[in-house]
Amino acid sequence: MKSKEILKILHPTIEIFYAFFSIFILIFLLLYLSDANFSLAFKGFVNSSIGGRNNAYLFSTFSKMALISGMAIAALVAFRGGLFNIGGEGQLVVGGFACAFTGLLVSDFGFIGILISIVSGMLAGATWALLSGFLTVYMGVPLLVGSLLLNYPARFITSYLVSHPFRDVQSGLPQTFLLSKNIWLPYFPNTRLDLGILIIFFVYVICLIIFYNTKHGYHSKNMGHSLSYVKLSGLPTKKIVFNTLALSGAIAGIVGSIAVLGIHHRFTDGMLVQPLYAWTGIIAALLVNLNLWFVPLAGFFFAAIYTGAAGMERIAQVPKEIATVIQAVIILFVVGKLGSLTNLSSSKGDKDD
Amino acid sequence: MKISLRDITIDYDNLRAIDDLSLEFHEGEIHALVGENGAGKSSLMSVLYGLNLNYSGKILFNDKEIFWSSPKDAIQHGIGMVHQHFMLIDELSVLENIILGYELDDALGFINFAKIQTEIKALLKLYDINMNLSELVTNLSVAQKQMVEIIKLLYRNAKVLILDEPTAVLTPNETEIFFKTLRNFRLEKKIIILITHKIDEVMSISDHVSILRNGKLINSSKLKQTTKKKIEEQIVGKKLPKLNVRRVIIEEQKILEVNSLRLSTRFSHSQPIDLFIKQGEILGIAGVSGNGQNELIESILGVRKVLSGSIEYLQEDITHKSTRYRRIKGISFIPQDRRKDGLAIKSKVWENVITINLSDQKFSIGPFVKKKSIKNYANQLINEYSIKVDNLNSSVLTMSGGNMQKLVVARELSNNFPLIIIENPTWGIDVGSIAFIHQKILDIKAKGAAILLVSNELDEIEVLADSAVVMYEGNISKRITKDIKFRENIASKMLSGVHFTENING
Repeated sequence: MKSKEILKILHPTIEIFYAFFSIFILIFLLLYLSDANFSLAFKGFVNSSIGGRNNAYLFSTFSKMALISGMAIAALVAFRGGLFNIGGEGQLVVGGFACAFTGLLVSDFGFIGILISIVSGMLAGATWALLSGFLTVYMGVPLLVGSLLLNYPARFITSYLVSHPFRDVQSGLPQTFLLSKNIWLPYFPNTRLDLGILIIFFVYVICLIIFYNTKHGYHSKNMGHSLSYVKLSGLPTKKIVFNTLALSGAIAGIVGSIAVLGIHHRFTDGMLVQPLYAWTGIIAALLVNLNLWFVPLAGFFFAAIYTGAAGMERIAQVPKEIATVIQAVIILFVVGKLGSLTNLSSSKGDKDD
Repeated sequence: MKISLRDITIDYDNLRAIDDLSLEFHEGEIHALVGENGAGKSSLMSVLYGLNLNYSGKILFNDKEIFWSSPKDAIQHGIGMVHQHFMLIDELSVLENIILGYELDDALGFINFAKIQTEIKALLKLYDINMNLSELVTNLSVAQKQMVEIIKLLYRNAKVLILDEPTAVLTPNETEIFFKTLRNFRLEKKIIILITHKIDEVMSISDHVSILRNGKLINSSKLKQTTKKKIEEQIVGKKLPKLNVRRVIIEEQKILEVNSLRLSTRFSHSQPIDLFIKQGEILGIAGVSGNGQNELIESILGVRKVLSGSIEYLQEDITHKSTRYRRIKGISFIPQDRRKDGLAIKSKVWENVITINLSDQKFSIGPFVKKKSIKNYANQLINEYSIKVDNLNSSVLTMSGGNMQKLVVARELSNNFPLIIIENPTWGIDVGSIAFIHQKILDIKAKGAAILLVSNELDEIEVLADSAVVMYEGNISKRITKDIKFRENIASKMLSGVHFTENING
């Protein structure tokens, strides 16, 4: 009986240890196959995810973390209300473009210009999310399908816009003109990390308040857990659906905006799609079992994996493909192991406040 | 044959579900297992049929200890269980469902259907069961589906049948037929373990009764050596309070009036529905479920569009108003399916006590909720309705069925609304909670509420309702007033549709 109890307490630790052990074995195998130096690869991984001269790489991890966390929050807001909005990518792209476009028009206004650009990004993202909500509520298109399919028009319409009408032809790439420095997001002193991460932190705090302290948060959580209960209780389900989606889309729009104003300073075709920010955000939201408190942690984890794999490639000459596979292995193991552990603990009621 | 459970103890995390319990089951006996929700009946049975392997103690088969590693193992030893939720495949025939997973194919993998069919037919004849083996399961009634589950076990040579609340879904008539079959099993020396909440059934069919409370065996004795009252007291652990039925003067004001309502195309051949409920009155709607009660409730609540006719609430035509409008105007609703329709069970307890009234100044300022006052309110409900819950912050999922139902009842009755729609309020909960909820319904009526009570339980309608109607295939009978033959009159209309149509026309 006693040993059984001890085993029970140790169980999570053993699981985690086992997960790490398996990861290392697999990575070692992959590195062996690709003929790379193991210790060099490891050093490259760690150094370029959390190290670097003056912590430069750590800051680039932070910058990615802001975007991934932001998209995770966007997904989580909708998922919590039982709305499977997987159209974060479309909302992100539309928001990013709207911000870049507005930014070109208001570049003389400095700080006010930044605000206006971000707000226009939010509005665009929210509109795109509401479009899928409209299809669901009034046309009967399942949200999962509608939101997913709206990703493509978002991608290709913006792609057209930056390839033709609004193209910076001189640059040779399908992208808008570079924004004036007036409305770039400022950097933290002596770093290359922009203030975008603070904006995301602000969004995070606002969402925590909305989730746990507002009427909307109260109703939308219950809607996520039982739609028929909320409907039969006479709550305004349509209003909750549209508010939730608008919030989710607006957050995606903010993420698009800080990518434009803080990192790229223009909108380039595919710059928000290729790094899979939206999808990584969804995985991160699922990994923390829709518990908003842990989103920054998950965001940091995914960001570190991406920058680390890139560093491994650069320093240890591990082929890019293998680096990507290693990245996938780590994510799968962590999602599998930690995911199942958080699920277990949440079955006894979630402890989110 | 004899099965003994010796010193069984089951622990879940910090909770002792079964505490050092010993029990014997003998062949040719119907052994009733009764107790409140969460008393440990299901936990005990899950040990016996091999689902729960985390227990201490022994299972003895004719005094020989046995072990198994899965329910499949248990069924090979002749122990099978019929659950409340059937595990049948609707698209397959009865015969295919029976042999599924136990096909007895030959060396080449062919199934000799003809041979199996004769075997099963012999079984049916032995126990005098009526069943068409080639019918698709989807076309069967609930009672027939349940019988398929039982035949499945018989075909696997089960000697012990564990039945989990088998009559919860049956009509009185079907229950009679079902009990006849159980008596045939008894004649063939089977051990029948009957988990139930209905004491009347225990009294009418069982030979032996065991009462569980808080994981302990309170009493196990021959039925003859105990009485209904004793059993009830042993289940609850104290004397059941007598229902306090105050005489309430029914006011003339009609709270709800339904005029020539057509519910759905499914009942296109039935007569339009007319009914009314006055202030201070409980109108019972009896009938086997699936005869249009659900559609009627949904129409009154506004979640279903009606074909024609009108619904008036407090002299206002609400036929085309939204659910939200109706609920705000003062219609309370206690649904049958508390887990799906009555609560968000994964949300916390305190998050389930407020619905449309969240905008009240008491519970929110602007967009913000006043968590503290909601929690205080939740505590108030919990005290007033003696709801057992370990923590306001734990999810509703951790509560027992009876306590979940009390939570729904507490929330819906505390608004003091003029009209309350109640659907099978005591479905699947224990006698203690039933008595409690019945009393609360009578109390709110005494305060002047009009109540529409839809129930499959004749007892419930008899105890609570002032008058009743019966629903049958979308038709609604004339009002049956409460007199000495109240129960008989309702029952006779429930059982036969022919009888019933005569009544409408007459």
